[in-house]
Amino acid sequence: MKEKRVWKFFSIAEQEKEQAFLRQMHRAGWKFVRVGGLCVYHFVPCEPEDVVYQLDYNPEGWAHRAEYLQMFRDCGWEYLQDYLGYAYFRKPAAAMRGEEEEIFSDDASRLQMLRHVFRWRVIPLGLLLLLALVPLYVGALCDRAYGIAAGLGVLLLFCVYVVASFAAAYFRCKRGAEK
Amino acid sequence: MDAHIRKVYVPMTETAFYILLCLQTPNHGYGVVQRVEEMTGGEIRLAPGTMYGSLSKMERDGLIRFVREEDKRKIYESTQTGREVLQLELKRIERLYRNAKEALS
Repeated sequence: MKEKRVWKFFSIAEQEKEQAFLRQMHRAGWKFVRVGGLCVYHFVPCEPEDVVYQLDYNPEGWAHRAEYLQMFRDCGWEYLQDYLGYAYFRKPAAAMRGEEEEIFSDDASRLQMLRHVFRWRVIPLGLLLLLALVPLYVGALCDRAYGIAAGLGVLLLFCVYVVASFAAAYFRCKRGAEK
Repeated sequence: MDAHIRKVYVPMTETAFYILLCLQTPNHGYGVVQRVEEMTGGEIRLAPGTMYGSLSKMERDGLIRFVREEDKRKIYESTQTGREVLQLELKRIERLYRNAKEALS
């Protein structure tokens, strides 16, 4: 069987896109095997099927692995792997009775997950990049290395964009929860 | 009961209400999922991420406690605080129901 590798980058704010991508690949006859390295997705050929993919980010689930995974298994979700702190699950749409299922059934718990991601991912990564990039950027400007400064500037803007889209996704979910 | 618990859990989400209600008798997470589905005629199906998060949060807040483990499934039951919160919430819902009945009759 031929394996297919796809390089694809999804930022922290694009979890839904990543889930949709895996589902679409499965529908097209490419079953997700694993993701590794720097965002390399591995697929094998399969019968096309509608399978829902979901990612969870739960620090408490890391500490109590066995019972955490058992809960998902009991509810019919197949555990696939962990990648950068996220647990990957899938469940065939055919196994869902009636409406489409997700691993969260209310907005309060969706928000809780986004808060975990914010605390353990967005803040540390944001700080790290800020501390590393800003001095480099200022240094490049002082040295009149405008090409490098422009490159760093684009990178900084991208980071700001990712954090802003994450915040937008969070508040969208929060508004939904308050309705 | 401390003010923080009251603020967070009254009013509480439908998810939290059913979980706490079911844990008046000891049960594990998936057991609660099944019970809630029966009680609501399949209307409410608690998802595993929601269930897991709610149980950890309620245990941290002292509304439920861990009893024992069976086949990698943790069994929980409501504490005295959990029962008190449920009673407060029940009173609120009764008032809601009474007022709505009066206004609409």
